[in-house]
Amino acid sequence: MSLMVAGVDIGSLCTKTVILSAERKILSFNILRSGAVYRGAAESSLNEALKTLGFNIKDLKYVVSTGYGRARVPFADAEVTEITCHARGANYFFPEVRTVIDIGGQDSKVIRVNETGQAVRFVMNDKCAAGTGRFLEVMAGALGVDLEEMSEIALYAHEDIEVSSTCTVFAESEIISLLAGGYEKREIAAAIYKAIARRITGLTGQIGLVEKVAMTGGVAKSGGVVRALEKKLGVALLIPPEPQIVGACGAALIAREKALP
Amino acid sequence: MERILKKFFELTANPYGSLAEWKEKNKKKVIGCYPMQLPEEIIHAAGMLPVIIWRSNEPVTMGHAHIAPFNCGLTRSFVDDAVKGKLSFLDGVVFYRMCLQAQSLPFIIERNACPSYMEYLYLPALYPGASIRDYLIEEFERLKKSLEEFGGQEITVQSLNRSISVYNRNRRLLAEVYALRREKPGLIKGREMQAIVNSSMLMPKEEHNRLLEELIPELKKRSPADQKVRVVIYGGLCQTVQPEVLDLIESLGMVIVDDDMYVGSRYFANEVEASEKPVESLANRYLKKLPPCPTKGDWETDWTDYVIEIVKRNKAQGVITMLVKFCPPHLCYYPDLKRKFAEHGIPEVLIELEHEVISLEQTRTRLQSFIEIIGGV
Ligand code: SF4
Repeated sequence: MSLMVAGVDIGSLCTKTVILSAERKILSFNILRSGAVYRGAAESSLNEALKTLGFNIKDLKYVVSTGYGRARVPFADAEVTEITCHARGANYFFPEVRTVIDIGGQDSKVIRVNETGQAVRFVMNDKCAAGTGRFLEVMAGALGVDLEEMSEIALYAHEDIEVSSTCTVFAESEIISLLAGGYEKREIAAAIYKAIARRITGLTGQIGLVEKVAMTGGVAKSGGVVRALEKKLGVALLIPPEPQIVGACGAALIAREKALP
Repeated sequence: MERILKKFFELTANPYGSLAEWKEKNKKKVIGCYPMQLPEEIIHAAGMLPVIIWRSNEPVTMGHAHIAPFNCGLTRSFVDDAVKGKLSFLDGVVFYRMCLQAQSLPFIIERNACPSYMEYLYLPALYPGASIRDYLIEEFERLKKSLEEFGGQEITVQSLNRSISVYNRNRRLLAEVYALRREKPGLIKGREMQAIVNSSMLMPKEEHNRLLEELIPELKKRSPADQKVRVVIYGGLCQTVQPEVLDLIESLGMVIVDDDMYVGSRYFANEVEASEKPVESLANRYLKKLPPCPTKGDWETDWTDYVIEIVKRNKAQGVITMLVKFCPPHLCYYPDLKRKFAEHGIPEVLIELEHEVISLEQTRTRLQSFIEIIGGV
């Protein structure tokens, strides 16, 4: 059997695993809701990813953990932060990328990356959930639609309205009063995406926007956010086929370097 | 050595008890001072104990009836302590025009801590011209006079010069401790260094000098921890940093080689010249432009240059910004500092210091990413 390594990204909402070959090929991946027990989630996600290949943990040469739960993965050989991993992962999918916007379940980051995939600088919003995956979920809940539907209806918005981007709780009550005030869901959905875009643009401004720009993390799957952000930033965003596994992929790439220097 | 360090840790963790005890035993007055710029020597020469006000380690509760939650930790905590009756041992408080947030405090303190003595100084911004100096000397003379009246003891040229020399001795000793750390980074832990400087603000300088004289030879016998990624920390205006943050920096593989922190090298920077006109000498110290202080409103001196100089001198690989949350003076300069660090290719990371919550996990991610950028994975 050829050498195999893994990266496990234990985020606040989901745990992701990527299994990589010595030739840097993604052999399999898995995405799982984290739940309250990080360790259990990491193990389950890794086992799921290995099962499809017919292997188990023993067959892995090296495991790197990342994400907020990274320190609590007993079977990991090393832990690396998600900043470094997203930079490395984004470089794997798009070597020409110099700015990575990562919006995850509960925080958002903008990372400046060099040509070798190393993070050079970063800014984070780690203080509050506004503008993150959790924010989107709460807003969709308030509108009574699912995430895909929300993205869909926003396409048909006619009127331009605003919701505040500063706080999940305030934004939710604003939405309820907009609904009570007779606004259509499609207008409100579009306003929510604009609010997220405003927030991320502010963060991006702190380190400067250098092209090309990639977006990673679960929120990159939301067409609504991507459209609003592209419009606000004035650039096209490169999005990997599965944006949620970019951190885990970066971790796996580092694992491969460690195993096969 | 451990005994002295323990004493420093105990005092800085709970100054209330120690100060009340000291006062009871020595029958002297204790005067709280706003941090950073006051000439403590004048209070000392009046036969009283000047202490720099501090941030308690309790969350602010009752104080929020009097002060906005978006004030910095020091101002909120000081008000909270006053409202909770924890400052009853203070005989007086000296305030000055430090920043907007600090300006509303005297009224609240007067009502809630009811000290017998209060003075408010209007320390000027550093505009060019001789009039600033004349005005400053007048302000210091005014403080001197009011302390003489309050204490019933004349402050003579000799007594003020004596106090100046005690303070200068303390500055020199603290500088010596810093030189030791610079020479052998890792010799003194971040939390120890902070307690060493902080305790100087909270006990009679004579006693602190004695303890430092005992401590320094002992410190020299220690062997430093392994050489790691060298960093400089700067900022932390007016207050201490949670020691856990300093521990985190070290546990992630960094070593603090030097600092530009208030509870750090700023406190003992610049001695006061001995002269026939000691009040003027004290004014001269205030008028020094270095270390640059964002509360002195001097637009000509570049704070970043000063920090970069410390970085270069110590061959540090990065800078950690210790930004007190809601501190307008530091925030006002931060974009400029950040941009210039980047222009000079000096890696920098921002740590926001909050009074109540330290989200250690997030701070860990920031600091760990920072060391991965500097040192690789
Ligand atoms: S200068 Fe900053 S830290 Fe000091 S009192 Fe003012 S706001 Fe607080």
